[in-house]
Amino acid sequence: MNRSDAPMPPALVSPLQRLRAASNRLTTRSASPTLLAGLAGLVALFLVVPLVYIFLRAVGADGEAWQRLLQARLWKLLGNTLLLMLAVTGGALVTGASMAWLTERSDLPGRKYFRWMFALPLAIPAYIGGIVHLALLRPRGGMLPRLLENLLGQPVYTPSPLGFWGAAFILILFTFPYVYLLSGAAFRSQHASLEEAARMLGYRPLRTFFSVTLPAMRPGLLAGALLVALDILAEYGTVALLRYETFSSAIFVQLSGRYDRSAAAVLSGVLVGLAVIILWAELRSQGQARFTQMESSWRPAPTIRLGKWRIPALLVAAGVTFTSLLVPVGVLATWSIQAVLDPDTLRSVLHSGSMGFSNFAWNSLWTSFLAALLAITLSVPVALFSVRHPSRISRFIARVCQVGYAIPGVVIALSLVLLVNRTLPFLYATPFIVVIAYVLRHMPQAVRASEAALNQVSPTLEEAARVSGRTPVQALLQVTFPLILPGLLAGGALVFLTSLKELPATLLLRPAGFDTLAVRVWMWANDGFYVQAAPAALFLVLISAVPLSFLLRREQIFK
Amino acid sequence: MIALDVQHLSKRFYSGQYPAVNDVSFAMQQGEILVLVGPSGCGKTTTLRLIAGLERPDSGEIYLDGQVAASREIFLPPEQRGIGMVFQDHALFPHLNVYDNIAFGLRGRPSVEIRQTVHELLNMVGLEPLAKRYPHALSGGERQRVALARALAPHPVLVLMDEPFSSLDTDLRLEMREQVRSLLKAMNASVVFVTHDQEEALYMGDRLAVFQQGRLEQLGTPEQVFQNSATRFVAEFMGNSAFLSGEVIPGGIQTEVGLVSQPVNLPTGSRVELAVRVDDLDFYPDPTGNAVIVERIFRGVQNVYRLRLDSGLTLQAFKEHITMLPVGQRIQAKLNPGHPLNVFLASH
Amino acid sequence: MSLPRLASLLFILVLLLTACTPASPATPEAPTAALPEPTAAPTEVAATETVDPSISGKLVIYSGRSEPLIQPVIDAFKTEYPEVEVLLKAGSNSEIANALIEEQANTQADLFITTELFTVQSLSQQGIFQPYRPAAADQLPAEFVDPNNNWIGLTLRARVIMYNTDLVAPEDLPTSIFDLTDPKWKGKIAAAGSTNGSMQAQIAAMRQLLGEEETEAWLQGLLDNDVTFFGGHTDVRKAVGTGEFALGLVNHYYYHLQLDEGSKVGVIYPDQGDGQLGLITNATAVAVVKGAQNVSAAQAFVDFLVSEQGQKIFAEQNYEYPLLPGVPLHEGVQPLESFRLADVNIAEAALDSDATFDLMEKLELP
Repeated sequence: MNRSDAPMPPALVSPLQRLRAASNRLTTRSASPTLLAGLAGLVALFLVVPLVYIFLRAVGADGEAWQRLLQARLWKLLGNTLLLMLAVTGGALVTGASMAWLTERSDLPGRKYFRWMFALPLAIPAYIGGIVHLALLRPRGGMLPRLLENLLGQPVYTPSPLGFWGAAFILILFTFPYVYLLSGAAFRSQHASLEEAARMLGYRPLRTFFSVTLPAMRPGLLAGALLVALDILAEYGTVALLRYETFSSAIFVQLSGRYDRSAAAVLSGVLVGLAVIILWAELRSQGQARFTQMESSWRPAPTIRLGKWRIPALLVAAGVTFTSLLVPVGVLATWSIQAVLDPDTLRSVLHSGSMGFSNFAWNSLWTSFLAALLAITLSVPVALFSVRHPSRISRFIARVCQVGYAIPGVVIALSLVLLVNRTLPFLYATPFIVVIAYVLRHMPQAVRASEAALNQVSPTLEEAARVSGRTPVQALLQVTFPLILPGLLAGGALVFLTSLKELPATLLLRPAGFDTLAVRVWMWANDGFYVQAAPAALFLVLISAVPLSFLLRREQIFK
Repeated sequence: MIALDVQHLSKRFYSGQYPAVNDVSFAMQQGEILVLVGPSGCGKTTTLRLIAGLERPDSGEIYLDGQVAASREIFLPPEQRGIGMVFQDHALFPHLNVYDNIAFGLRGRPSVEIRQTVHELLNMVGLEPLAKRYPHALSGGERQRVALARALAPHPVLVLMDEPFSSLDTDLRLEMREQVRSLLKAMNASVVFVTHDQEEALYMGDRLAVFQQGRLEQLGTPEQVFQNSATRFVAEFMGNSAFLSGEVIPGGIQTEVGLVSQPVNLPTGSRVELAVRVDDLDFYPDPTGNAVIVERIFRGVQNVYRLRLDSGLTLQAFKEHITMLPVGQRIQAKLNPGHPLNVFLASH
Repeated sequence: MSLPRLASLLFILVLLLTACTPASPATPEAPTAALPEPTAAPTEVAATETVDPSISGKLVIYSGRSEPLIQPVIDAFKTEYPEVEVLLKAGSNSEIANALIEEQANTQADLFITTELFTVQSLSQQGIFQPYRPAAADQLPAEFVDPNNNWIGLTLRARVIMYNTDLVAPEDLPTSIFDLTDPKWKGKIAAAGSTNGSMQAQIAAMRQLLGEEETEAWLQGLLDNDVTFFGGHTDVRKAVGTGEFALGLVNHYYYHLQLDEGSKVGVIYPDQGDGQLGLITNATAVAVVKGAQNVSAAQAFVDFLVSEQGQKIFAEQNYEYPLLPGVPLHEGVQPLESFRLADVNIAEAALDSDATFDLMEKLELP
């Protein structure tokens, strides 16, 4: 008799086998993948439409616009932008990785504090850092040259924060924390045996670092570098302030120039094309990150003694913290105190604009909060689809939803202006268009956070709930959601943080009388009213620090 | 030729209640496989790392091939010792493929030589077709083989292996053991091998060094260590002995399962303990017997029986797989004649 | 206390502080600008004797003038008409102009205030505005009132060269804007760049007066002379004030504003000699946008701007030349009658705005 024909006597079928059989039936009918696919697809569509529109406008722009741009600016802009990207990415890599090595692998004194101080500059928008350093170092006019001139009686040459080097310096200062956090995590998770193996094979410690330690961290470093590159591509405030022309600032200039937007659309098209290439590279590199995972018997890599290099290392670390954190916050605090103490200045700070200070502070908070809420909510079906039903389509949709990384704020604003005015006019010139811009731009962070959170929850938990009698939706709400909530909150905090800082899209999209802190600071600083700008800037930095510290606490090292 | 000579090696860590390595001395011949074995925390891994140069000894000397590697005055760092090491977690470089991993220690040699050596080793470990693969695309066994090839490529004077099979499945472990041993023997390699698995130790080693709490309890061939255990611990650890108490009398040793007529160099009346292993005891059903079956453990090829003696002591004995006796049956237990047992003075 | 706790505490503290801060008097409760209302909601209000009680609701002003320069007159208007909530969107002239064109089908603004006339003329030709002629229009010089009443001029400004008295000796002073291309001033000049309305207007005026080639040569000369181009004139005046630059090309009132701050600066009204160009001037203007939601308030604002009260504010707060005759200048401001003005045809110049942008782009003016 064929064994498979005979039914198993019930007594001999173990409970485990029964569960497995039930589970098999369940997964084929589980949380309707078509529904998820539909939702995720809609979200992706929503995110992609502005992009497509820009491309169409760029491609549809008459040849004259292209010609004009091509002969005049395109190549120069491309060169400028790429140069800046390379310099800043390289600088951020070196700074971030070396500082991470100091705090994670060496016996640097005070490294517990340095860990926080190296991560905190993320709360400071780069353009605010630029404002501070500009006020301090502007040739002849800055505070430092004037101080030196008074002390020494003659003009002293100080490095100028303007132009390429200045812009690169400032941007490195405020983007290296991305690399720092990622490489810090990579350093911490390294296996001692990797370096020991290299040493056993005859490699001295320094060579081991370059031949084994660093290359093993390559995926993490690459991811950090690409994120920095995308950030620089989209950067507007700092480069405009420091007068170094890149694609983003050129688009802005185009928008305040002649009365047709097609030139801006063309530049935007090129910029987005460039960014999409980088994004694609970054998404690919994510897949390789797993190759550094090793199994059990993990031993932490040993702490390296710095010995006579202690003092120099301490000086370098202190220098980095000084310029990226202490100086900006210190100067802002000083100016704020100055502003508050002088009644005239205080009045203009509190009452300028059509509304008052509390008004634009509130604007910043509620738009960022709403953006965070929307982004996280929309990201959940996308994440559910891609994590629970992995397939080419779901992966594709998840990737498409991260296109926001590749579209600078300027371009999002431009596309929304062109689109919304024609299709949803009632939405135009309301603050909600600003919220939509934030969601479009910061969706990738929400999607990644949601995916990461879901990845940590095993699908068998949901299946266990289903076996106990819950419907798919109930299982999702009662079991999965509470578990992924911290991860979702982290994603929301990140979106909140980056929306607070957002400048170019807000500048272009805001309705009359609607200002955010970022916009206010920018407008004051643009006219040279640094002292007036300081309280708003300081406030912005302080409230950014709250979600940031929430995010950092989730990283093990900060506990 | 003495490949390795360790003399009065000691090392203490801040957190330890006792020294991790406590006055350990041994020497090893060229081409020998020496196994350091003992329970976790016994100091075998620390000893290995001291030999490798990954830790500094507090006192003692280490000589490699007659040269000083560590002493009071000298400390040679690991990259200068010419030792090959295979780690428990294989430690393959994730960013290099198999070929480059193996070639890693051959830097500076002419490329022709490198190619030859790498291919030679790839062949030896049977991984020639996987040369271009990356570690994350290999199975556990394949990774460990690459790690071995990498360690052997520079033809080191000594090969250290730190529990290399502990992360593998049982079947794979057995297979790897055999392959690796024959490979090492074929290369006439001098190997120091660390394991906590006494069965593995018995299989792999030409000689065994049994460690407990930082001390070297016994150094000898597998047979010596097993049959003539120097200390109670060694007897217990090797072969999972249970201890049977007895008293020395003129004819031998009197125990509750009978007289053991084994010459023993102790005065009459001494209380002793005998190490009894599963194959040292036998029994047959007897309603007037001295023990009762309390459990039968079916191990496929054997049935292992737990027997409770009337004194309360539980011993184990095995029977063939077809001999199945019920729990609760009274039996007579007796020691197998002709099995020399390890005898130790009873501790009070 | 751990750092995050400290930060959270600080955060809450500051939130409380902002919550307690009295908001601007115009909006005690309104959080943000909501959807534009379909009609201005009439409210009961105790009217002052000259104020029409039906003028209320939201008034949206798009301004090419920077906020600090337009705010005083807005504040004064709000005191007169406390029922009107003024929402201001300030930016560069052309940026705002672009927005107005984009929003034609979906008008958001009620008023447009510019820093120069070419933009407003150009937009008027595109039909962006609706006509309104305030009573005071009859008193203004004819060339500053649009024949179709689409826009009306407010104040005059002159393009001047301000200098730092510590850095420039009286005998070295330039007398013409063409002196700015003299290599002796290399690297020492500041000006506003291509996004600034007044600069765009100057270039447009010069094109109209001198032709394309000479204007291009002058601009190229500036570029060759390492002139630093800022985004706005406030930056220029401050830089000249601190001595970062010796010369600055600005609108005249910026000199006065800087002098007010105590800086050691002087001013030259250039090109007065025979055969020279003459002083280049321009005017600010205001226009009511077609499709405005709050036409009554918009018109009331225009009335206010050209009234004696409004014009006085421009003269006194901003050192500008009011177009309404009889309004006294601020002390220290030299009257325009003492200068020879360049003869620019506004209408003609405005027709060719694209060419100005082309020129700036060709030379890659920052």
